[in-house]
Amino acid sequence: MRPASLRVCLSLLITVVLVVAWVLASAVSYRDTRSRVSELFDRQQTLLAQQLLDTDIQNLVSRPAKDRQRGPLRLRRRGADRNDDDAPDDAMGFAIFDAQGTRLFSDGRSGGDYAFDPARQGFMTQPLGGRHHAWRLYYAANADRSLFVVVGQEIGYRRSTVLGIVRSQFLPWAIALPVLLALVWWGIGRMLAPLDRVAGDLRQRAPDDARPIPPRGLPSEVRPLIDALNALFARVAETLTRERRFIADAAHELRSPLAALRVQAEVAQIARDPTVRSQALDNLNEGVDRASRLVDQLLSLSRLGPMQMPADAKPIDWRALAESARDEMAPMAASRDIGLSLQVAALPPATRGDAMLLGLMLRNLLDNALRYTPAGGHVELVLDAEGIRVVDDGPGVPEAYMSRIRERFFRPPGQNETGSGLGLSIVERIATLHGMRLQLDNRAPHGLVAAVVRPSAADRA
Amino acid sequence: MRILVLEDDRLIGDGIKTGLGQLGFSVDWFKDGAEGMAALVAADYDAAILDLGLPNVDGMDVLACWRRQGRDVPVLILTARGTLDDRIRGLDAGADDYLAKPFALTEVAARLRALIRRRHGHSESNLQHGAVTLDVAARSLTLDGKPVELTARELALAELFLNAGTRVLSREQIEEKLYAWGEAVGSNTIEVYVHHLRRKLGRDFITTVRGFGYRLGDPA
Repeated sequence: MRPASLRVCLSLLITVVLVVAWVLASAVSYRDTRSRVSELFDRQQTLLAQQLLDTDIQNLVSRPAKDRQRGPLRLRRRGADRNDDDAPDDAMGFAIFDAQGTRLFSDGRSGGDYAFDPARQGFMTQPLGGRHHAWRLYYAANADRSLFVVVGQEIGYRRSTVLGIVRSQFLPWAIALPVLLALVWWGIGRMLAPLDRVAGDLRQRAPDDARPIPPRGLPSEVRPLIDALNALFARVAETLTRERRFIADAAHELRSPLAALRVQAEVAQIARDPTVRSQALDNLNEGVDRASRLVDQLLSLSRLGPMQMPADAKPIDWRALAESARDEMAPMAASRDIGLSLQVAALPPATRGDAMLLGLMLRNLLDNALRYTPAGGHVELVLDAEGIRVVDDGPGVPEAYMSRIRERFFRPPGQNETGSGLGLSIVERIATLHGMRLQLDNRAPHGLVAAVVRPSAADRA
Repeated sequence: MRILVLEDDRLIGDGIKTGLGQLGFSVDWFKDGAEGMAALVAADYDAAILDLGLPNVDGMDVLACWRRQGRDVPVLILTARGTLDDRIRGLDAGADDYLAKPFALTEVAARLRALIRRRHGHSESNLQHGAVTLDVAARSLTLDGKPVELTARELALAELFLNAGTRVLSREQIEEKLYAWGEAVGSNTIEVYVHHLRRKLGRDFITTVRGFGYRLGDPA
């Protein structure tokens, strides 16, 4: 379906409404005019009949006998000679009869056709002999019933008079309608012109341009749309800025692992001593592992960024999740000579969510703890009524860096471990998605507790 | 030539140290800015490589500190911050050259050689003395146009004398230039190398200055 044009729709609507209104108005006006016109003509006919009856008709009748032999008198109208049917007249005629039915006097082209009928009194409508048209006839007689008068008028004339009046009313309408439509067309165009301007602006807009569309000059009906668009621009710009910063950070962070790879590769190339070369190749492998880990973490984080928790999140089996995370990290713990244990003090509050993401979160927490706990240390994963905790007896985080430790890519100085600086960002993001929060606390005398808990529990703490 | 490297990344630092070592430099590598600052005072370095993203101390602060102390050792900055602004800031802060990560080790070596060359007032990449010509970049030495086989240490020692010109170098100075921290130096190692060089390049290539050390011999 073609999208409806506001302008065409409005113009059509206005046209239809106007035409219907006008037809109805004309019908009413026609009826009204017809009754008024026939009333008027009836009155005219009655008056004429009265005048004729009041006339000193005997004078007319006592004219020379020779005239009489030529039949009843007829009035000739001007223009009748030309036998012009279109000549303007009131299409009225009359005939005067005496009591015996002798036609004393008649008028016009029709007067001669009126029949004498002393029984008739008042108006009647009937077709006239030899003619197809209906006539309105008025029969009257004087007081002593010595004279009878018939005044007639063609109904068609009356109709055309009414039509003429109605038509004359129609003319201004007919002129006004196109003018009105043109005005409507132009007016709507003018009101919509700012939309064209907005469309033009939007077409030329740079994708990262977050300036709001100025609402000035726009019809108020369009304001909600513009406001919504402006809000969208702001949101998109925010996302774009975040993504751009993330990409810049990521590119920056990838430079170091790449530099390490390149340097070690070059060392392997130029080294003549086989032990130096094999050491460089080992380093190269380590560098590739480190770069892959960084890329994995970056991907996880960028996928998590725009994610919303799906509505069909499933209930989480914390115990199974914790056991599988522990089992997965056990080899890393063993290789570093760190004890890793799981303690289920109580089950965390029932949570719905994504088991895969929560597993990733647990593995990141455990990986962090294992990475920074010295050999011989101990890492414990604890489930309790408030959430989950990863407790280690490593060096903890220096208080000076506690506030920055969650920042992406931030790594406290002085580490030998090659972390990506993204683990906690990932943990925090997944926790947030599940309505929980990450809490980091140093332990006495040393160690760190990383807890993912319900906000209420965190606030109480 | 002795180089100080300040780089916190283990793999990069190790790579630079080993790689430049293979290319004829002796390298001291420190991960920590404070240690590096102190090290520059302790030994006579020909050049320093400085990573800006150091823990604890900003590399830029290290550089500013050295320059305040009047140390004119050429400094090559290595950093992941590769924007124009960063480079300008680094150069204005007193750096002599700038390389963005990831970089080629051979380029680092070439730039170091250029920095050192300029510091000694040379503009040619070949060092020449009498019949001896040293191609610093190619690490090859010729005598009367014929190539001479030298070990890396012997080559480094020849380069040291050629760079020093007529300056007298003490045994300690030579040891310092030829050996990085922690490398074992035997009590008469330098004498042994000098002996080797004289055998390969002629007796007069190095003159002994009694009581002081050695200097480049007068050209024949």
